[in-house]
Amino acid sequence: MQQDGSSETEVTWEDQQNINKFGRLNNRFHELEDEIKIAKETNDNLEDASNELILTDEEVVRFQLGEVFAHVPKEGVESRIEQMKEVTSKNLEKHEEERDSILAQMADLKKILYGKFKDSINLEED
Amino acid sequence: MASSTPGVPERRGIPGAEFVEDVQTYLTQSGLNVNSALAFLLERLQQYKLVEMRLLAQQRNIQAKIPDIEKCLDMVATLQTEKGTGEARITDFEVSEGIYYCARIEDNDSVCLWLGANVMLEYSYEEATALLQKNLDNAKASLEVVDADLQFLRDQATITQGNAILLGPLMGLSCNICFAREFLVDGNVFFFFS
Repeated sequence: MQQDGSSETEVTWEDQQNINKFGRLNNRFHELEDEIKIAKETNDNLEDASNELILTDEEVVRFQLGEVFAHVPKEGVESRIEQMKEVTSKNLEKHEEERDSILAQMADLKKILYGKFKDSINLEED
Repeated sequence: MASSTPGVPERRGIPGAEFVEDVQTYLTQSGLNVNSALAFLLERLQQYKLVEMRLLAQQRNIQAKIPDIEKCLDMVATLQTEKGTGEARITDFEVSEGIYYCARIEDNDSVCLWLGANVMLEYSYEEATALLQKNLDNAKASLEVVDADLQFLRDQATITQGNAILLGPLMGLSCNICFAREFLVDGNVFFFFS
C-alpha cells in the first residue's frame, strides 16, 4: 500500500477483510502445526508402548489411568492402546486436512493480495 | 469517499477499529492532525496488545483444564465398566514424587470429586459423569468465546495497523505492510518505515 505519490494503491474495505482473513488463517495454521506435532508424538509413544507390550512377558501391566497406574491384564492393555492409536490417528488426519485446506486458502489470498499490492505487501514469514 | 464502515463493532469491552479509506476525510472528521492521529492509533495498538496477553493467558488456562476433565471422565467410565466383575482392582498410586504404593480398590458405587477450594464431594458414578461432562462442555464453550474474542481483537489490530500505515505518507514516509505471527505479543509494531 505504497502511497508515495506515484502509485495510488488504496486499501478498500474488501482488501482489509482479505488481509484480516489471511491473518486469521495464518494464526490457525500455526495452532494446527503445534497440534499436529503433539498428535504425532502421541502416536509415536503409543507405537513404542505397544512394541514394549509385545516384548514383555508379564501377565499384568501397569496402565496409566489419570494419575494412577492400574494393574490391567496384558490383552486389556493391548486393546486399549489400539483404541487410543485409532483416536489419535483420526485426530491427526483431521488436523492435517484442515491444515492443507488453510494452506490452499492462504495461497489464494496471497495471489489476490500480491496481485493488487505487488511489492507493497509482504505476506511471508521471516 | 466514505471513511468508515457502517457502525464500528465493539465486542465485550474490546473497542472496534474504524476502517479508514480516505485519510483526509478521517483527519477532518476527527479533527486531529497527522501526529496526534498516529499517536492515537499507536496507543490503541498498545491497548490491543494488553488485551491480547490477557486473552492468551485465559486461553492457556482453559486448554490446560480440558485434558484433565477428560481424564477424569475416562477414569469414572472405566470404574463403571469394571464394576460388574466384582473383583477388586489393584492400582499403584503416587505417595510422593517417584514413590508409588499398591492399593486394592473394592467394588464401589461412588467416586469422590475434587471441586477445588479444599472441598471434595462423593458422587455416584452417574452423577459424577454428569457433573464432569457439564464442566467439560462449559470449558469448551468458554474456549470458543475466548477464541472468537482473540480473532476479533486481531482483526481490529490489523485494521488499526493499516490505518496507521495510511498516515505514514502524510509524514513524508513510505511504508510497507508486513505480516508476522502474533505481531502484537512481540511488542513490536510491525510496519517498516523507510
